[in-house]
Amino acid sequence: MGVVAGIVVGAVPGLSVTMATALLVSMTYAWDTKPALAMMLGVYAGGVYGGSRSAILINIPGAPAAIATGFDGYPLAQRGEAGVAIGVATVQSFIGGVLGLVALVVAGPLISEFALKFAPRDYFLLVAMGLSLVSRLGARSMPRALIAAAGGVLVGLVGMDPVTGEGRFTFGLPLLIGGVHYIAVLIGLFGLSEVFYQLGRIGRGAVPQVTIPEVGRILPSWSFVLRFLPLSLRTSVLGIIVGALPGTGGEIAALLAYDHAKRTVRKPTRPFGQGAIEGVVAPETANNAAIGGALIPMLTLGIPGDAVTAVLIGALFIHGLRPGPLLMVEMPDLFWFIAWSYALANVFLLIFGLMAVRPFVKLVNVNKKILMPMITLISVVGTYAIQSNIYDVFWMIGFGILGYFMKLGDYPVGPMVLGVILGPLADINFRRAIISVHGNIPAFLWEIVSNPISLILAIMLITAFIPRLPSAASLRGRLRRLPRLGRKEGA
Amino acid sequence: MHATTASRLLRVFLVPALVITLAWGVAIGPSGAQVYPERSITGIIQWGAGGATDRVSRRVAPLAERGLGQRIVLSNMTGATGAVAMQYVFDQRADGYTLLLAAENPALYGVLDISPRTFDEFEPINLFARSIPVVVVRRDAKWRYLTELIQEAKSHPGQIKAGSTGPGGLPFVVGAMMTAVSGVRFNSIPFDGEGPGMTALLGGHVDFMAVGLAAAAEHIRAERLRVIAVVDLAPVDIVPATPALGQMMPEYRAYLPWGPFYGAWVKKGTPAPAVRRLVDAFRPAVASEDFTEFIGLMGSTPLNLSGEEAVRFVKQWQSVTAWLLHDAKATQKSPEQFGIPRPARR
Repeated sequence: MGVVAGIVVGAVPGLSVTMATALLVSMTYAWDTKPALAMMLGVYAGGVYGGSRSAILINIPGAPAAIATGFDGYPLAQRGEAGVAIGVATVQSFIGGVLGLVALVVAGPLISEFALKFAPRDYFLLVAMGLSLVSRLGARSMPRALIAAAGGVLVGLVGMDPVTGEGRFTFGLPLLIGGVHYIAVLIGLFGLSEVFYQLGRIGRGAVPQVTIPEVGRILPSWSFVLRFLPLSLRTSVLGIIVGALPGTGGEIAALLAYDHAKRTVRKPTRPFGQGAIEGVVAPETANNAAIGGALIPMLTLGIPGDAVTAVLIGALFIHGLRPGPLLMVEMPDLFWFIAWSYALANVFLLIFGLMAVRPFVKLVNVNKKILMPMITLISVVGTYAIQSNIYDVFWMIGFGILGYFMKLGDYPVGPMVLGVILGPLADINFRRAIISVHGNIPAFLWEIVSNPISLILAIMLITAFIPRLPSAASLRGRLRRLPRLGRKEGA
Repeated sequence: MHATTASRLLRVFLVPALVITLAWGVAIGPSGAQVYPERSITGIIQWGAGGATDRVSRRVAPLAERGLGQRIVLSNMTGATGAVAMQYVFDQRADGYTLLLAAENPALYGVLDISPRTFDEFEPINLFARSIPVVVVRRDAKWRYLTELIQEAKSHPGQIKAGSTGPGGLPFVVGAMMTAVSGVRFNSIPFDGEGPGMTALLGGHVDFMAVGLAAAAEHIRAERLRVIAVVDLAPVDIVPATPALGQMMPEYRAYLPWGPFYGAWVKKGTPAPAVRRLVDAFRPAVASEDFTEFIGLMGSTPLNLSGEEAVRFVKQWQSVTAWLLHDAKATQKSPEQFGIPRPARR
């Protein structure tokens, strides 16, 4: 039940998993604790997965965690392989979910102690890594991608300064004190702008025809799954850790996983950004693995791993439980109940997810004249639903128009959304780190070098900016060539 | 024959039907068209789902429904420190069908220049509870009591790292109290809320933090965090051995008791009978064992104040907090502009 509801919620842009879970808290108030929890876990798993549907089919991520899925998922759909993309997304979500669960059961307390060790500077490095993705996203023009990303960061910073409490870029308008909600930006840039763009092309043909694939092609073959297994394992570990970090959730896990795939997969099925299966595998595995990750600090310490687990903790309170470090000690049965219901949720996710591919894929074949007004409606309703605030809708429309002109000018919208989401996170964590060393930059650098976590993250960040380290193979080739040159000279 | 069958039929079906109709009529009769509440009431929660205000509101509303005989339909409306929700309720008709479920924040909208709305434009139905601030440190920290921490802060000004939630938050106000009374300063590092701040405390990224007892209760029970002061006049049940700040250092009494509160309001101008009906429905709900137990679990202390008492409580809180913030240079406008008097010395 919960899974189905979750998939639907996840697939509709704007209806966020956090909101659905929050609604369920009041709906299930009168229920027993366990069925209520099972329902919420189902919605959680389904919702995170469901976001990929709309990202793949109509290039509007249903949830922030699905942004990275759209990078390659939508190109796949345009090639008429939406079925394959959704099939892969489903199976990988399942794999990620199961691995996340295994981590929770096997190493929960260990991972949560590890997560506590992350200092603000480490969050900053992590987020900076996510931002560096911009350099690899702007497929055609790096300056344009950077301009878009910088614009995004600027928009993300609008609102009350978290350190001083003063308004930033608010022009004295009380309206801007709360900032611009990133979901509104997301829906506007991805959703509404696509509507405008398509409207501009109506009558000019060039509408991609999608063939509805056979069921056999939806379910990826074993060899297919096995082929991506190493990548799935790596991105799952990434997802679990990022999910377990109290300051980051599935969206950052998915972005980092996509980045990781792009950097480590030498021979993707197709170039990234043009429909690489790996580009769907990595983020989908990671964002569902992040659920298991987020549940770890929630169950072992009573600290939420992301926004949804924060709501779940509230729900536990309402049901008279006391989520905290002692929850697992005092109520081990509850821990196992959560583990089992989450396992079941994953099984149902796999079953329902694969069953419902056909009707979803048909959606792409719906006449644009019908589909586009529908997307517009969903965009408006979804945006209003974020916090029942009409100004969010105006923002969404504004960003829809901006996105349209960006698309006309060949500016990518992806980096802008990255900027909006990651910019403020980078800002606040950098400032926290700097404040805690009294603004002393050498001390800040020393802390990075002297702390193992920070050092590893810093090295990873730096290597991200080195275009391509000479691979072992080409090095060997060069070495082989050297002696030959030497011989020539000698002869 | 036929007649008797007919009359029996009549008796079997018609009579009960008539009785039911009559009974129904009697039941709804007195609460007819003119009597409040004749339809469901909307409750606007100023903060997001899962937060303290949300949790308290969702716990108390079903209990108050019993006394009202109508549903209270709750929804969260966040934004601008709760000002969006307050404005919304202010824009509705003052008919008692829209409740504002809020925390203490609106008392500072003026001095922080957040919104023109004030609590003066609303009528308190009930102040449910007040949370108790405590100062916590890691289990292995060297300070046993806040007095020791203050001593060290005096010899190393600005060195000790304090977890904060930004200007105006609970940790900030408690810090401002320490600056005002003991003249100490800390290096305060802002986090997104008490939860994230405590996570940083657990991870060793800050040295101490003032938080609501609610947020820290489970970490205290698990002995991961230790309370070095209860920022109140008397100790609390959860940590009976820790002395209250008012006992340790009597000079703090002028500012105590202090703590964020939660309650329900309606727009001023709501007909008196409706206000009375709401007050009468919330009072037993807040007093119920179900709710007080929940409040205790949250580490808060029940208030159950309405009418003049509630207004006085809010005024006192506003006076203490606004002037503390003003003296710490954290306000946009002076409390004087809004006619907020300085707290009286006790």
